[in-house]
Amino acid sequence: MTQARFLRSARIAAAGLAIGALALTGCSANAGNTGSAKADASAKSALLTIPREDMGTFVRNFNPFAPTVTPMTQQAIYESLLVYNPANGDTTPWLASEWTAAEDGKSVTFTLREGVKWSDGQPLVPADVVTTFALQKKIKGGYDYLDTVTAEGTNQVKFSFKTAWSPALFDLGQLSILPDHVWSKIADPEKDPNEKPVGTGPYTEVDTFQAQSFVLKKNPNYWQPEKQKIAGIKMLAFAGNDGANLAAANGDVDWAPQYMPNIEKTFISKDPDHRKYWFPPTGSMINWQLNTTKAPFNDTDVRKALSMAVDREQVTKIGMSGYTKPADCTGLSGNYETWKNKEVQDNCEWTKLNVDEANKLLDKAGYAKGADGKRTLKDGKPFEFKISVGAASSDWLSVADVIAQNLAEVGVTAKVDSPDWAAVVAGYETGDFDSGIVWSANDPSPYKYFAGMMGTSTVKPVGEKAFENYHRFGDPKAEALLTEFAAAADEDKQHDIADKLQEEYSAVAPAIPLFAGPEWGAYNDTRFTGWPTEENPYATLSVRAPTTVLVLTSLEPRA
Amino acid sequence: MRFILRRLGFYLIAFWVSITLNFLLPRFMPGDPVSRMFARTQDRMQPEQIEALRKLLGVDDRPIWEQYVGYLHNMVTGQMGVSISRFPTPVTEVIASQVGWTLLLGGTALVIAAVVGNLLGILAAWRRGGAIDSALPPLLIFIGSFPYFWLAMGALYLFGVTLGWFPIRHAFSDTIEPGFSWEFMSDVGMHLVLPALTIVLVSVGGWMLGMRNTMIATNAEDYITMAEAKGLRPGRIMFRYAARNAMLPSVTSFGMCLGFVVGGALLTEVVFAYPGVGYQLLNAVQGLDYPLMQGLFLTITAAVLLANFLVDILYVRLDPRVRAN
Repeated sequence: MTQARFLRSARIAAAGLAIGALALTGCSANAGNTGSAKADASAKSALLTIPREDMGTFVRNFNPFAPTVTPMTQQAIYESLLVYNPANGDTTPWLASEWTAAEDGKSVTFTLREGVKWSDGQPLVPADVVTTFALQKKIKGGYDYLDTVTAEGTNQVKFSFKTAWSPALFDLGQLSILPDHVWSKIADPEKDPNEKPVGTGPYTEVDTFQAQSFVLKKNPNYWQPEKQKIAGIKMLAFAGNDGANLAAANGDVDWAPQYMPNIEKTFISKDPDHRKYWFPPTGSMINWQLNTTKAPFNDTDVRKALSMAVDREQVTKIGMSGYTKPADCTGLSGNYETWKNKEVQDNCEWTKLNVDEANKLLDKAGYAKGADGKRTLKDGKPFEFKISVGAASSDWLSVADVIAQNLAEVGVTAKVDSPDWAAVVAGYETGDFDSGIVWSANDPSPYKYFAGMMGTSTVKPVGEKAFENYHRFGDPKAEALLTEFAAAADEDKQHDIADKLQEEYSAVAPAIPLFAGPEWGAYNDTRFTGWPTEENPYATLSVRAPTTVLVLTSLEPRA
Repeated sequence: MRFILRRLGFYLIAFWVSITLNFLLPRFMPGDPVSRMFARTQDRMQPEQIEALRKLLGVDDRPIWEQYVGYLHNMVTGQMGVSISRFPTPVTEVIASQVGWTLLLGGTALVIAAVVGNLLGILAAWRRGGAIDSALPPLLIFIGSFPYFWLAMGALYLFGVTLGWFPIRHAFSDTIEPGFSWEFMSDVGMHLVLPALTIVLVSVGGWMLGMRNTMIATNAEDYITMAEAKGLRPGRIMFRYAARNAMLPSVTSFGMCLGFVVGGALLTEVVFAYPGVGYQLLNAVQGLDYPLMQGLFLTITAAVLLANFLVDILYVRLDPRVRAN
């Protein structure tokens, strides 16, 4: 414990200094030539260089079932049936050329794309998909709604469900497909390191593999050879953001997906013509979750009043360096932009700063202010509680600090409690916490998000471990809507129900939405062009998302 | 011989105590590896997958004493299991793939710091009040009291980024194929300079001061005066008479440091992105990767004890008084 604490404090201190040192590099004028990426004489053979900031070393393990798989396995080596892009809401058919959902919503049939080959030359067949799902269910679980997966004809796969289950499309469509002819021969698929992966992706050939870096080269049998314009991908290992940020500032990497403090100064300013960043708010909604099994958080008026006391502009500006925007009362992040109910969005009251109204609401709810300006609960105790955040997340800590300051103005005392994340999450899981800053589900369909926010089926009693709906809020009306949503095969109908879900969300305020998590991403186009931007959001700048393959197949060396 | 056997017995007990602590401490930490992994990946993992993952990773639900017996058995037979944070790579493989770089970096830095520091200490004490004695100790202590990472970041920025004399990350260039070629070796050497230099700078002051202080005490001994009276050469007196006797504390701390080298220089490895075990250890602790943590702590404990045992044996050789006891 002490060792851990020492190490952690040392690391935090180091991180602080690193930021300082980076700021220094940003200030100095003579950073000069190091700024422009060392342009290779032969741009054609240049490798797309990407840092990985949370792995000090790589272990050769391309098994997609491993919890910590080698980076790029699910992005460059294996591909999925379809790719959903949260930045513009588009769905791109990928290994499947088309799909049809049954009228009753109880099955989906995917048609595999013609001419797709594995990197060893074998064609993609329906058995590959069947085997993949069999392995996935056996090793990693989930997909409880799935009844059977069957090959139909030579190029179709039919997924049948136990009951109608409309969120299944993206759930099924985004799983990386593995080759049956390889994986059916692997004796122990959960533990096999899969050192020589066979995939359908654009960059499958492991060229050199070192603990500190590795290179993936072109798949010789790729199904869209015209899109393999870069020679290969090189991943660099870094033990923490600092090293990766230095490499980015120094122009040694082309793509910088990690968080950079003060990015304008540390990264962009050295070469503004070539260096760009884009943080679309497509991450998960970050909420301030109140434990609704405890008084006074079980009172909707209290939750709304506390929400109105929070200055979200200040939260995003101070806590998140202005990299994201405040949430509204639909509770949906930018990931669900196409699902938003405009009417609800335009009439948001309880997610806007309004100290007077917050005071009024709290007075009305029966939490009167004492002579010292502090409120008391109904049992006479002071209105006081903790906001739990993991110590490692410095950005969220300052978010919690801002909230605590805001609350003081309405006579409520909040204390920021910041032990290690593990301790915080252990409290969330068993329901032994007051409130906390928590992420939420982020899927193409808002089903899981709303189920985890206010579905009754996800509520676990205090003491029993929960892995979603930590705040333990269940609303029968929302549950009925969710059931209806799951059964709706038609997308227009899903949108109608999603509109109603947002109305319900706004009415009951299950949690206090703060801001959408930004998807970090910056790039340097000295060597490669064709990056996604705000004007051309064909993907996000994430290197771990399903959309990464879209970027890999769009980039080309600078002529 | 009896001395050595007694020491050996002591080391066995120390070893048992430390592996027991090694077992208990991580288990006092809240949470389990799977919830930690879940917390870290946040929205990227499905809640339904947690049970399966728990089963897959073999998270132990047995009573703690049963786990302990199993643990002791595994330790004795050298089975360290499979790393959780690096699943399914065996712990031995994770450690083996990285410990080499750690030993290279830590060992080089330690040997340079100890040799240079001790020599400077000997010279300083021999010429008390001379240039070395008055200028170096305050300077080295001044440098040594900088927070380590500050010095490392400073060196990295100045020599790596601004001047571009040395590479700024990793143990060798990505473009070079590892092998026993001159090109590769010199590349490794270049990458070693900055990290090793910063460790040496920070630690050399301690070695020098320690040596200087014992040496001053030794210089006042009668046998030194006697040697001088006999007209021996000053160099011979300095090294064979004074320094040899003043060395014992230095040998002890060298042994200690040698053992700790295995644990990795965490901050150096983080700042210079050096592929050693230090960051892995931090990750293992944060991710509650019991098998990897146990493996690393066991390696460190064994190395410290082994190094100390060697020092004990060396003592017998260096100091006749130990033999007499």
